[in-house]
Amino acid sequence: MFQPKPMTRLVIAAGKDQMASVVSELYRHRVFHITDFVDQGKEGYEGVKIGTPMENAGELSTDLIKVRSIENVFQTSPKTQHDVPVQSANTIRAAIKKELPKISEEVNALTAKRSNAEAKIRECEQRIAELTPFALIPAELELYRGYETLSVFAGYLEHDIEFDFPCEKYFAPGKETGFLVLFAGKENAATAEKVLSDAGFTAVALPNETGTVQAALDKYNAELTAAKADAEEANTKVLEAKAKYADLLAACDEVLSCDVERAEAPLRFATTEETFVLEGWVPFDDVEKIKAALNQAAGGKIFVEVDEENINYEDVPVEYNNPGITKPGEVLLDLYARPKYRELDPTIILGIMFQILFGIIVGDVGYGLIYLIITLILRKFILRLGDMGKKIMGVMYGVSISTIVFGLIYSEFFTLSLWWHPLLFVRHLPIGEVHAPNIMDLLVLSVALGILYISVGRIFGMINHARMDHKGPHRTKAILSNLGWNFMLWGMLLAIFSLIDLNVVLAKANMLVWIPYIPGTAGTVTLIIAIVMFVAGLVFVVRENPLDLMELPSNLLSHMLSFSRIAAIGLSSVAIGMVVNYFARMFFGIAFDGGFTVLSIVLIIAAILLIIVGHAVNAVLGVLDGAINSIRLHFVEFFMKFYQGGGIIYKPFGHNRKFTEE
Amino acid sequence: MAIEALIDLESAKLIGKGLGNIGAGLAVGLGGVGTGLAQQGIGAAAFGAVAEDKGMLGLALVFIAIPETLVILGLVVSIMIMFI
Repeated sequence: MFQPKPMTRLVIAAGKDQMASVVSELYRHRVFHITDFVDQGKEGYEGVKIGTPMENAGELSTDLIKVRSIENVFQTSPKTQHDVPVQSANTIRAAIKKELPKISEEVNALTAKRSNAEAKIRECEQRIAELTPFALIPAELELYRGYETLSVFAGYLEHDIEFDFPCEKYFAPGKETGFLVLFAGKENAATAEKVLSDAGFTAVALPNETGTVQAALDKYNAELTAAKADAEEANTKVLEAKAKYADLLAACDEVLSCDVERAEAPLRFATTEETFVLEGWVPFDDVEKIKAALNQAAGGKIFVEVDEENINYEDVPVEYNNPGITKPGEVLLDLYARPKYRELDPTIILGIMFQILFGIIVGDVGYGLIYLIITLILRKFILRLGDMGKKIMGVMYGVSISTIVFGLIYSEFFTLSLWWHPLLFVRHLPIGEVHAPNIMDLLVLSVALGILYISVGRIFGMINHARMDHKGPHRTKAILSNLGWNFMLWGMLLAIFSLIDLNVVLAKANMLVWIPYIPGTAGTVTLIIAIVMFVAGLVFVVRENPLDLMELPSNLLSHMLSFSRIAAIGLSSVAIGMVVNYFARMFFGIAFDGGFTVLSIVLIIAAILLIIVGHAVNAVLGVLDGAINSIRLHFVEFFMKFYQGGGIIYKPFGHNRKFTEE
Repeated sequence: MAIEALIDLESAKLIGKGLGNIGAGLAVGLGGVGTGLAQQGIGAAAFGAVAEDKGMLGLALVFIAIPETLVILGLVVSIMIMFI
């Protein structure tokens, strides 16, 4: 609760002959977070070097690259393969030895065939494009080449032109531009070139073929068809191979990834000629288990020691430790930052309140049911994300259920009233229906929630400073400054409570939420206390940093009033829904008013479309508004008071296996 | 004196209500304009950052939502004008 998992620092040292078994054992247990050894030439570390990968690392990496390149051809990866039966890692290793070279050869042959065919297709298409314009000219292809005294020009030209030197030309007019072939004496070539370029001539290459143009075109078209068939065949065979091998390759990928990771682990160790040392973190609960396991694996020839001295808390990896129901909040907190090791972990508040605030904002049985249905539809896909998927599902279920529950409280079903009166707050606006909404209550409650959040945030800030700062006058000042902000806030509120009866000011509608008012002598005493608190708070804040006073308006007013968005955004969503219903009802009204005609049918269809589209848009807006604003209230208004984040994420040495087991 | 002669109390109340409604509209509308102006810069910068690093998405959405305070306070003010 409010704390990450306690971590213990372990130092492991053994002879190099034990390295493989130690690495396998650590990998199997998947609890040890390795701190990478950095060779900084520190005192006491003379002669200690970063380790070298194990012997088979190179071979494994080569195999892994082979597997990945085939997967690339198939466009698959371990992430895209699902529902694959689990196999033993040794079966897969045998398959890598025996079948991988064959598969690799087969796929390479197929891709070579495919790329050859594709190159052929490109070539044929280019030839055809080059020859097509010559089909308009009644001349055989060998006539374009092999002259000693003649120059030949061929290309596109908009209009036919005349030349004032002896020449033979043929102009084929086209839709946009014509095609011109010109035979002229070599002595006139320069003149011809100039005249042509002045007329906007675009030259094309002369064909290097024989026979008629049509014959050449027919030849290339036949080649093109054959090449296309080849490419098609190769593609089909690649798809067949994909269906056959994709699952096996995913398993190979997993096994090889694990083996490579293990073989390269020594790169993270400190080694001497005969020994190695590695340091890292283990959750406190697993220390004894891992110690015993390592001792057994190394036959006692190993030194495993808990190191409790010189701990730098900035280096401790952080693993969440929250009760099950609030675990989904972790995925939300990771959007912001992982807490530091000694910092308060606000996941519990975030995990519960995010859903509740979302419910208060959207609060509609209809929309809640839509969210629930979408959640159930997406379930299969989201759960594939593994642990994170589970947390995301938790958030989605929580949000849907909270929306339905608050919908029941507000008595709203697609913003229509249900058959009971709203239990707490009436949000039905007078749009097309007669209602007396009771919005002030919701606004006051939102702001009250804001005051609570801000006060708690400051208290958390005091705790964090007390825990994380170095002892000394600065720490005291920082703690008192947080207390000072709370004093100022509550001083201001108490002053307001003793001076004005806000119930009277706001209560034109019947107020359910009661705002304290302290009249008479008690009020005067409260006012004096309030002023003392405010001044004391001011002093505490100024003592830490006078510049903080710039934040006075935002901290005392804006952040508190910002919570009024909980009421306001909810109302805007209700308003949109009610407008949709109002127009739909109007359409139905006109449709059935004065007989049933063709127009009625049109209006009914329009009304139904309006209802579907309008409420769909409103449901999407509800998710955006509800989710972004309730998370923003936490991140901005709440976390800014105490939360730093930036802890190291706990990544135990090991792999979450999906396709194989050792 | 001249105004008193021109409109009676009932009309004056109606005009007052109308002006109030205009004020409520302005509160939301101008708040929205302000939010939009602020969000255009933040949005462009935030999604530039997301393009570089997808992990920034959560923070980017939060940053974009920050200026929404303006329009929400506008909405609160307009609700207070309309319903109090």
